[in-house]
Amino acid sequence: MKVTLTMKPVARSFIPIEAESIIPKNFLSGTDLSVWRGNRELSLDDIFSVSVEGEADNPEDVEIVISGDGLFRLKRVGEYMDGGKITILGDIGMHCGNFMSGGTIEIHGSADGWLGREMAGGTILCRGDAADYCASGYRGGRKGMTGGAVEVFGRTGDFLAENIAGGIVTVHGDAGDMAGAEMRDGTLIIHGDCSRPAANMKGGSCYIYGTAHALLPTFKKIGPVRHEGQTLIRFTGDIANRGKGNLFVKDYKYLD
Amino acid sequence: MSELLIKNACVIDPLRGINAETMDIAIRDGRIVEEVSSAAEVIDAHGALTLPGGIDSHTHICGTKVNFGRYMSPEDMRAGRTSRCGPMHATSGYSVPTTYGNSYRYSAMGYTTLLEGAMAPLEARHTHEEFLYTPLQDTMANALFDGNWGIMEAIRDDDTKRVAAIIAWTLQAVKAFAVKLTNPGGTEAWQWGKNVSCIRDPVPYFEVTPAEIITSIVEANELLGLPHSVHLHCNNLGTPGNYTCTLGTLGLIPDLNPKRQTLYATHVQFHAYGGSGWKDFCSKSEPIARFVNMRPQIVIDMGQVMFGRTTTMTADGPMEFNLYRLHHDKWSNHDVELETGSGIIPVLYRRKNLVNSIMWAIGLELALLTESPWQCMLTTDNPNGAPFVKYPEIIALLMSKKYRDAEFATIHPDTGSRVPLPAIERELDWYEIAVMTRAGQARALGIQDLGKGHLSLGAEADVAIYPIRIDDVDPSVDYEKVIEAFSRTEYTIKRGRIVSRKGDCIVDGNNATFWVRPKVSDDYDMGKDPDFIKKFDRYYTVRMRNYPVQDEYVNRSRCIETEAEI
Repeated sequence: MKVTLTMKPVARSFIPIEAESIIPKNFLSGTDLSVWRGNRELSLDDIFSVSVEGEADNPEDVEIVISGDGLFRLKRVGEYMDGGKITILGDIGMHCGNFMSGGTIEIHGSADGWLGREMAGGTILCRGDAADYCASGYRGGRKGMTGGAVEVFGRTGDFLAENIAGGIVTVHGDAGDMAGAEMRDGTLIIHGDCSRPAANMKGGSCYIYGTAHALLPTFKKIGPVRHEGQTLIRFTGDIANRGKGNLFVKDYKYLD
Repeated sequence: MSELLIKNACVIDPLRGINAETMDIAIRDGRIVEEVSSAAEVIDAHGALTLPGGIDSHTHICGTKVNFGRYMSPEDMRAGRTSRCGPMHATSGYSVPTTYGNSYRYSAMGYTTLLEGAMAPLEARHTHEEFLYTPLQDTMANALFDGNWGIMEAIRDDDTKRVAAIIAWTLQAVKAFAVKLTNPGGTEAWQWGKNVSCIRDPVPYFEVTPAEIITSIVEANELLGLPHSVHLHCNNLGTPGNYTCTLGTLGLIPDLNPKRQTLYATHVQFHAYGGSGWKDFCSKSEPIARFVNMRPQIVIDMGQVMFGRTTTMTADGPMEFNLYRLHHDKWSNHDVELETGSGIIPVLYRRKNLVNSIMWAIGLELALLTESPWQCMLTTDNPNGAPFVKYPEIIALLMSKKYRDAEFATIHPDTGSRVPLPAIERELDWYEIAVMTRAGQARALGIQDLGKGHLSLGAEADVAIYPIRIDDVDPSVDYEKVIEAFSRTEYTIKRGRIVSRKGDCIVDGNNATFWVRPKVSDDYDMGKDPDFIKKFDRYYTVRMRNYPVQDEYVNRSRCIETEAEI
């Protein structure tokens, strides 16, 4: 089953739309779904031109394609998604893929903050950039991402994979400040630069193939290691709180 | 004129000596009356257990400290969220909920009067502002005097009347209800990075001992004729072997008041520990309870610990620092100028932890070994021992040996050799529970004359009707039914209005705040005392004229004037 949602043009409205109902499972029983714009409940038809091709019995066979202008206003698309596929042809708003546990979200543009926060499984591919708190935890949560994979082909903002406790996060561009802060487990791979990586890390592995700026002095240098054909420098830490994580960097700079 | 008639209520009203009599209760304009007209709204209770509205004589629900608990624990705010529903606002939080969360959850359990256990006088406005948004319970607050500079100087000069005068001025200025001492002297010593180990250690600089502070303030409290006694959190909370310090403290207290106790010792569970360290930590509830049984001038509350996540908050700053060093999670510490301080940390009480298991047992033992239920109140020191929503479970534990044994089997296996709990057969009855949760609390707080804690003619019409018929249920076996019934009233009636029905609050209430104004002679009016004014302006960051809480901060202000002997 292929569901196509094309956002209708709206004049001058920047009010976010809470669209947590857009997940493959919900379309198995029709398209009679609602979303919220501010304090108003609207039906899916009010916001999108909806078309459905084919049929499906389980979420795995559902693909949702979202397109149109102003997708950056759509929040929480794919929240609690457990299977199927969502393809976004544009830039998506905040909290895309919250708590997802299965399936795939592919974003052909960029993603706003909190992409895939607290996700437990599944895959998110972002062809553009992701903003702050990509694949991170949330206020009041003790663990962030616990499983699955996030791959960002552009850059990410600050607090990438904060509190990550499982799964794998790959960023092909640069990451911002505090990447992998409070990391507990899982794997974080950054192909570009970042600053102050893995602060207060307790476990897991963080690989930085660019330069780690302002590396924290609370990491203990172990020495060079060969990893996937490259020479990286291995650190362990964060020893400030007896952490047992591994941090591998291609190059690093301490604060002056 | 509003009228309400409750028919066929099975009433337990210990202050009038009524034990399970089926009767009708007539209410007009918020008061209990002889009879009402035929136009009155009628509730048929069908023989359900009907008690005066619940009173919590020691809880932490409003104020800067509670709010900082909310602030530093986003995980707690995330834990108990409910959405808006009818007149109920959205709430969040579990151990430190929003004010509406506190109010709704207490109301669903039949509670209509709450005492905030510790309010720093300087920060009283915050407490009163939160009281405004705790709509379904009448409220009052204890003001902290444990490290008050003026008082310690007066004690050093051996001038009890001046101690009383400072207390009188402060109580009326901040619109507080009673005097609270938290680790007297210890929090002041903490401002020097120290603590006091027990009642004979001098406080740095002031050179007075906790024992002098306690005895002098107890005496001053009676000079002022306050409705409530001194409310004391003893020194040395939470350390192994502290029961000797507790006994020493309780031994200081003479019997000064014929109407009520002379000392209310709060959360005694935290003060009844034996052993020389955590390795031989054990329960000393027996000597404490024996001591209390011999002294009618002392009332204690349990401070029961229940397993699960909660937040500890107290004005006892040094103790919270010690706890922080055990838990290593997060910690907040706060200094309140010339008055007191505070500390907050989140904790998790675990069944598999031996110390936590022993703490759980001690609270129950204190309630079971104290012979008179009028001398031991049911509390958790909310949220320090557990959030108050655990009260129904505690009631069931006290009423059922079977339930206690079932729970005992799930806790740390070594607990049995450290505590007397398994040997205690006593099961409390409905009457004793009614004493421990309302009648006794009203008497201990000295508010029964204001129409609280009983259903006599003219009393405030605060009534809780629980969906349980006590003749049909054997609490020692059907403890699940007891928990269910006490968790959610059929009706909670506050000042003659049905405020909560089957757990849902159905009105946006309007509470009252009780506070005291002791009438002292001009000689002892600290507002005119040049020395007091000079010290105030020299050391406080606020001007003296800006210190008192204005009337507009107090909802339905109920001022209690007392005749002081000074």
